[in-house]
Amino acid sequence: MRPYRHIVTFLLGFAVAQGVAHAGSITVYSALESDEIATYLDAARKALPDIDIHVLRLSSGDLAARLIAESAQPRNDVVWGMAVTDMQEPRIAALLTPVHGKDIDAMPAAFRAPDARWFAPTGYLAALCVNRQALAERGLPMPRRWSDLGNPVYRGQIAMPDPASSGTGYMVLSSLTANGSDDAAIRRMVALSRNIGQVTLSGSAPCKLARIGEFPIGISFAFSAMQSIRQGYPIDMVLPEDGRGYELEGSGLMKASTHADDARRFLDWTASAQAAALYRGYKEIVAAPGSLPTDEQRRAGLPADLVATLPVRDFAAAARERTSLIARYKRLTR
Amino acid sequence: MNVAAIARPLSRPRIGTWLLVGLPIAALCLFFLHPLATVLWRSVTDAHGHVTAANYLRLFDDPGLPRAALHSLSIGLGTTLVTVAFGLCLAMALHRSRLPGKPLIRGVLLLPMLAPSLVIGLGLVCLLGRNGLIHRLTGLPTDIYGFWGLLIANTIYSLPQVVIVLSAALERTPSRHYDAAASLGAGAFRQFLDVTLPRLRFAMVAAAFLVFTETLTDFGSAVVVGGNYRVLAMEIYSEVVGQMDFGMGATLGVLLLLPALLSVALGRMARRRQDAGEGVVGQPLVPAKQPARDIALGAASVIALLPMLAVVATVAYVSLVRLWPYDPTLTIAHYLDMPEGYGPVATSLGVSFAAALGGIALVFALAAGLRSLPPHWARPLQFLATLPAAVPGMVLGLGYVLAFNHGPLSTWLYGSAAIVAACSFYHYHAQAFLTMQAGMRQVPGALEDVVSSLGGRTRHVLRDAILPFAAPATIAGFFYLFMRSMVTLSGVIFLVTPDLGLASVSVMRLDENGFLAQAAAYAMCVVLAGALALGAMRLALYVLKDRRHVA
Repeated sequence: MRPYRHIVTFLLGFAVAQGVAHAGSITVYSALESDEIATYLDAARKALPDIDIHVLRLSSGDLAARLIAESAQPRNDVVWGMAVTDMQEPRIAALLTPVHGKDIDAMPAAFRAPDARWFAPTGYLAALCVNRQALAERGLPMPRRWSDLGNPVYRGQIAMPDPASSGTGYMVLSSLTANGSDDAAIRRMVALSRNIGQVTLSGSAPCKLARIGEFPIGISFAFSAMQSIRQGYPIDMVLPEDGRGYELEGSGLMKASTHADDARRFLDWTASAQAAALYRGYKEIVAAPGSLPTDEQRRAGLPADLVATLPVRDFAAAARERTSLIARYKRLTR
Repeated sequence: MNVAAIARPLSRPRIGTWLLVGLPIAALCLFFLHPLATVLWRSVTDAHGHVTAANYLRLFDDPGLPRAALHSLSIGLGTTLVTVAFGLCLAMALHRSRLPGKPLIRGVLLLPMLAPSLVIGLGLVCLLGRNGLIHRLTGLPTDIYGFWGLLIANTIYSLPQVVIVLSAALERTPSRHYDAAASLGAGAFRQFLDVTLPRLRFAMVAAAFLVFTETLTDFGSAVVVGGNYRVLAMEIYSEVVGQMDFGMGATLGVLLLLPALLSVALGRMARRRQDAGEGVVGQPLVPAKQPARDIALGAASVIALLPMLAVVATVAYVSLVRLWPYDPTLTIAHYLDMPEGYGPVATSLGVSFAAALGGIALVFALAAGLRSLPPHWARPLQFLATLPAAVPGMVLGLGYVLAFNHGPLSTWLYGSAAIVAACSFYHYHAQAFLTMQAGMRQVPGALEDVVSSLGGRTRHVLRDAILPFAAPATIAGFFYLFMRSMVTLSGVIFLVTPDLGLASVSVMRLDENGFLAQAAAYAMCVVLAGALALGAMRLALYVLKDRRHVA
């Protein structure tokens, strides 16, 4: 009896079984959340039964780093739901090719690139996760505006994602300061940074800290706040009145895709009305015209006319100014 | 006898030695040095591939860097002091005391190694955070965030590994020296100073080196409990993942490699044999009865182990309540509602087994071969073998993508389970290697000489002299690699594919997506699966050993 041989055979088979690509299958890299991906994929597989869709979910920073690292020989056909600011990074933009489709081309112009390299059916909105209970225990007032957060009463009570490491953190910094051109806004950010008790690497982590009462205020995005409310935590979602920070979640086709036709069909499906209806279950910003917040979202405090009130954002400038704006912020706050 | 032992390595190494060293070194070059060089090359080139020093000049310009470096240094030194002190107590409790409940000590020490990285951070926050269990139960104003939180987290993480290395040096000690010291009138403390400590010198320096370099490169706990206490490893993460600046990330990586130079001193110590290797085989030591010693060691063990147990227990509790910390109703719902299923746990078990089996064979060969190489060969190789400890997992993972994504090996390697196993093993290469080396120092030099002078070939020396004495270290190293591969995250996150799900990645994803209780539940399942696998392998080992004794 030679048990070792079985072990070796098993391990070899195991190794070979991985990484075999099938015809009619596409590989998708996505920064969307796992639970929403599962919902969308169920519908996508029914709508496109002949395509085998493989999705790898990574956080948006890991996704960007991986795309750049693999750029000599990309392994995916599609990028699905990645921060548009990251997609504007020249090394990533160079990997994408314009994509057209019936539903993609019908999207509102503000939600797709003029050169068709990306389109964004959804987006996320900066929001505060405020733990009512923790706030009351400490006798603190409810913040309503970004400028409130600079108030010394909140010293050490705020969790915020680091703009240098988190897309959400940079989104807050760049969209509230008009990419660094608004000096008064920069001063407000610096005052805020003095009150931070914990910086986090990811954008949802501050909200998670607020949920369990570690920090009464977490600077995060609306999806996280609404998820906390749904799960039953004593969280209020606050959309500060003095500035709407947001980011779009773009999708695009890889230039190196070996299954470009299938990939295009999948991408066009993500821009369809059927998909838009599903996005509403999770997303605060849905590009499809006429898409309104659900009752649950409205109860959580999401305004019905949100998409119409969003300011115009210069994503290209946000990507261009990234290094210098972060360096400036670091210099002012450390 | 000592004179002979020192002179022995000067004899010409044989073919067998070169074979023994050659394979592990070739693998080390391919799977460690090559990816590392690929990523570090970015620190001296610009976007167009031209050589430049711009990244290094930028180091001086970075406003947060000097303070981050200072923070890293203080937390590194602090953690090293605390862990080596407690590690020594625990290793002594295990090998030089008559304390009851040694299996319990061993069991608790396994917990931090079996637990995905999320567990320590999450457990500390839920236990000692501002709204943690202790605060809720006692009303004390607990606040874990900052230097002390970081120190506790790093200590919990590193302590088991220090105990492993120190234990490797304390095992299989003949009682002869202690008998001699006692007959000369040396008291218990004198014996500890004059007999035990000198034996431990190499292992203690090795353990300190590992803890120090690893604390510098780890950002897992800094992220969760660091507060505003920023460390260098976080800056690397910011550069690579936040700003997609691989060049700057690599430059900081080079900075973190500097402490690895300390290992050169280790290499020098490894060659000295005065403080190691018995001349001849002897009766194994049985600790004398000394209640005072046992009570002191027992107290230190409890202080060291209680936080570990409490942290893991807290996470287990969080996984079992409906809504931490607001609804304490007990439920197992979080274990049943698992979107990704438990398939990744099985994959991780397979990958870890492969990493540990292949890894321990390579490390054993390397450590055995280095024993009989001349110093001018052994020293650089020793440095190379311990270098992985100074490389952050993320830098290594990124190196793997840059090195293996394209090129001749990519078609059959990239995206496979094998590359994940390789990355896991080489991330922890230094720890396994130093454990092995500390263990092999227990091999009586004379025995080795006898076997080879009787005409034994290299394989006979290995089988009859080295293996019997290094067996405990080999087994400990195997289990260490297995456990670490089960839970490692920072490197392999760059290597997972849609079809290759890993348990550690699943835990991270659940946590990232905001499902705290499910993440805790999944982490507990990983701990359980790891523990069961460990138990099964121990049993298999026991049966094997038994059979050999009969034959």
